[in-house]
Amino acid sequence: MPPQGGAQGRGGVPAPPPAARIPDKYKWPSNPTLLSTRVKRLDAPDKVTGRAKYTFDIKRPGMLYGRIIRSPLAHARIVSVDLSEAERAPGFKAGLVWKQPGTEVLFQGDEVAAIAADTEERANDIARLVRVRYEALPHFATVEQAMAPDAPKVFPMGNTRPGSAEEAGDLAAGFKEAAHIVEQTYSTHVITHVCLEAHGTVCEWDGDKLTAWVSTQGVHASAQQFAEGLKIPQTNVRVITQYMGGGFGSKTNIGAEGLICARLAKQANAPVKLMLDRKEEHLAVGNRPSAAAHIRAGVSADGRLTAFDATSWGTGGAGATSNFPLPYIYNFPNRRRVHTDVYINSGLQRPMRAPGHPQGCFLTEILMDELADRVRMDPVAFRIKNLPEKAPNAMWADYFAIGAKAFGWDRRHSTGVAQPGPIKTGMGCAAHRWGGGGRGSRAHVDIMPDGSVVVKCGTQDIGTGTRTIVTIGAAETLGLPVSAVKAEIGDTIYPFSGASGGSTTAAGVMPAVRATAAKALEALFAKVGPAIGADPSTLVAANGRIFVQGAPSKGLSWKDACKRLGTEPISVDGEWVDGLSGNGTSGVQFTEVDVDIETGIVRVKRVLTVQDCGLIVDRLTAESQVYGGIIGSLNFALFEDRILDRNTAQMVNPNMEWYLIAGMSDIPKIDIILVDGPEQRARGVIGIGEPPTVSTSAAIANAVRNATGVTIRSLPLHPHRILQAIEQEKAGGTL
Amino acid sequence: MAPTDDSPSSSDQGINVSRRTFLKTAGVGSLATAVSTVAVSEAAAQSGPAVVGPGEVPVTLTVNGRRIELKIEPRVTLLNALRNYADLTGNKRVCDRGACGACTMIVDGRTVYSCSTLAIEVQGKAIRTVDGLASGEALHPVQQAFVDSDGLMCGFCTPGFVMAMVALLERTPNPTVEQAKKGLDGNICRCGTFVRILEAAMKAKVARA
Repeated sequence: MPPQGGAQGRGGVPAPPPAARIPDKYKWPSNPTLLSTRVKRLDAPDKVTGRAKYTFDIKRPGMLYGRIIRSPLAHARIVSVDLSEAERAPGFKAGLVWKQPGTEVLFQGDEVAAIAADTEERANDIARLVRVRYEALPHFATVEQAMAPDAPKVFPMGNTRPGSAEEAGDLAAGFKEAAHIVEQTYSTHVITHVCLEAHGTVCEWDGDKLTAWVSTQGVHASAQQFAEGLKIPQTNVRVITQYMGGGFGSKTNIGAEGLICARLAKQANAPVKLMLDRKEEHLAVGNRPSAAAHIRAGVSADGRLTAFDATSWGTGGAGATSNFPLPYIYNFPNRRRVHTDVYINSGLQRPMRAPGHPQGCFLTEILMDELADRVRMDPVAFRIKNLPEKAPNAMWADYFAIGAKAFGWDRRHSTGVAQPGPIKTGMGCAAHRWGGGGRGSRAHVDIMPDGSVVVKCGTQDIGTGTRTIVTIGAAETLGLPVSAVKAEIGDTIYPFSGASGGSTTAAGVMPAVRATAAKALEALFAKVGPAIGADPSTLVAANGRIFVQGAPSKGLSWKDACKRLGTEPISVDGEWVDGLSGNGTSGVQFTEVDVDIETGIVRVKRVLTVQDCGLIVDRLTAESQVYGGIIGSLNFALFEDRILDRNTAQMVNPNMEWYLIAGMSDIPKIDIILVDGPEQRARGVIGIGEPPTVSTSAAIANAVRNATGVTIRSLPLHPHRILQAIEQEKAGGTL
Repeated sequence: MAPTDDSPSSSDQGINVSRRTFLKTAGVGSLATAVSTVAVSEAAAQSGPAVVGPGEVPVTLTVNGRRIELKIEPRVTLLNALRNYADLTGNKRVCDRGACGACTMIVDGRTVYSCSTLAIEVQGKAIRTVDGLASGEALHPVQQAFVDSDGLMCGFCTPGFVMAMVALLERTPNPTVEQAKKGLDGNICRCGTFVRILEAAMKAKVARA
């Protein structure tokens, strides 16, 4: 199943019955007070003061420190694991063997054993006393090695595995119709998530009940995983994540590190903190798979795409998939695509922000500029000509026009035009899409007799601002300022909510919050109506008052209204409803770059995006998500690279000095056109975390091509590759 | 052009030793002999540096104006001393190698990567961390600027950036955009908050003026 945005797969569980629809009275207001405005992030004060406690910060009485012993080799059979020396060391408190002798480790960093000690310093020392003997086995560091015809069989299921295969139309006819054909190979590379807060947990047992603080994107999902992995009732597990320092898709599973921590804590009969270090983060907890495709594509003389034939492959590491959508967005009526997953001895992939889409976008968008040049069409006009039919979730034609105008696209020179001096300027563009959408969340709202309000939801804030939008949802519904509503999230004692992935949180959570707050409000109206001699169905809540619609003086302040509750708070449960959220976003991006053809250094000067997301909940945090996605994609294009030694398959740069991430001086001017208006608002809440990170890298690569006249069909765009490509171009051409 | 054996080596180093003098005094002996032409205290030359550890030893740190008495191994970094032994967890550990800035603190007026500073070496120095910036509920102007500009997302890089910005504005109260960028180039963010962190810097410099 190729990685897709949108609803989580439910694997064998029957589909739920259709959800209730929101009553008309509680559809999103056409003139909201808070929605779509800029509301400051409510937990910002806790974060800027250091008061916010992340999993890494948790300290429990008597807490020990765990450390995992990992394979240094890319592929080996474990011969023996000897904990005896470790067990004798002062400070040793617990130890376990995770992979038994006779089993294999499949990548550098694969978990073998673990210990816990009384201080972090002693834990590091004692880990080094665990003696593991390995028998080295053949391994692959590159897909070429794994795909070689004489390659040894390193993986029991085979070194490669057929992936998806799709075909449509008549390929032969399509190529016959083509006036121009481009046939090239395009590729993107492996990168790691580099969450600043490492993966890890603090586990504490109370008898057979487990409390786990986890740096996770899903508290309820984590509780289920602990229960399954430890074979204990899920009702015995509580997971807490008030704050977490980044996941980007890699923290939807507690992983070996979670279960190991829980087992160490049980054995030691003491809480254990097990946080990974930066090297482990690079090696063992996920990455974005590589992608490559040999593509043959045809275009007619008048600029219509006619044919697309691709053989694609990629690696997700030692036994995981690498699939991605291809072709991406544009309408190739006759097409075929066959994908193969290739396994190498590196850490397994985990979903990484918009899984598959940055790869599919890059591989398609460079080709699009090449085809546009063949028919001498402007790249934007060429794209617009070949888009699928316009729809609310497919608005690229409009967005390209809006963006091109705002960006000054008409100042773009054609590719290959001579420019004086070593600094060459160019512009590029690309389009992207994403699902978003979401369902299934539940919430609880209490309205107290003193007027205080709390909304509880077992969702989590992974840095996106969920805590703030939950508050906004309840406050908007109850007619209160955000300061009058408290949101409680990040704990499995709160009602079920799905993990934060796929940009599904806003659309999954907001309808549940709205519906539950509405239910609570209706219960309050039932008490207030008789008190002021009004029919409860005529009451509304706005500006901190409850009053008869159309007769604002016939009402009470919120506080006075709640006094009518006497001693009994309103306490209601609710869940997700239909009619408040949507699915499917589209967007485009434009970039302008300078390329120094003497040093190979690319500097992105400007990025502009036109992006929709349905009903914008908090404009401030939504914009931040767009900035963040674009910068992440810039990193993908220009800087970061998971480099494996091609002989040992060990990672050469498992740190942050040689694994390059942009700093302040690398950031371009970024302009965001966040599409708003009645049409988008009518679509309801849709997520925005992932779409902005999809297309920037393709737009940058196209801008580099426009600047230099040289086509580079692979990432990253490191200086030496720019220079190599320029040399190749001089020698015989890449264009 | 190489200096002659008799001429003093480059005097801009502050050391005035000719090659000939150096060879005469050094011979095949120890470094101590070679530097005898440079003033060295008698006591230090005889006793050598004091040995501390490897087990836990008393370490006293002055953090945010308070004295903190710890008993830690000498190899414990300033970052881990405060995080693990003093429950000052505002400061975060990310790369642990001085490459990302998340652990930035201000020691005697200069920013340091506390992950690459030994706690035992900063005794007696004034250590400032993010935990001590706010006065109760009142945020420091830099902190307030982060909140107002939304210069944060997951927040894990934020304490380091806040301290870097505090140090930047204390040293350069009215930075240009270029100066602000350079002053903040020692910190990395993965969520991509740079645009608004820079806005916060420009806001905070006005607030502090």
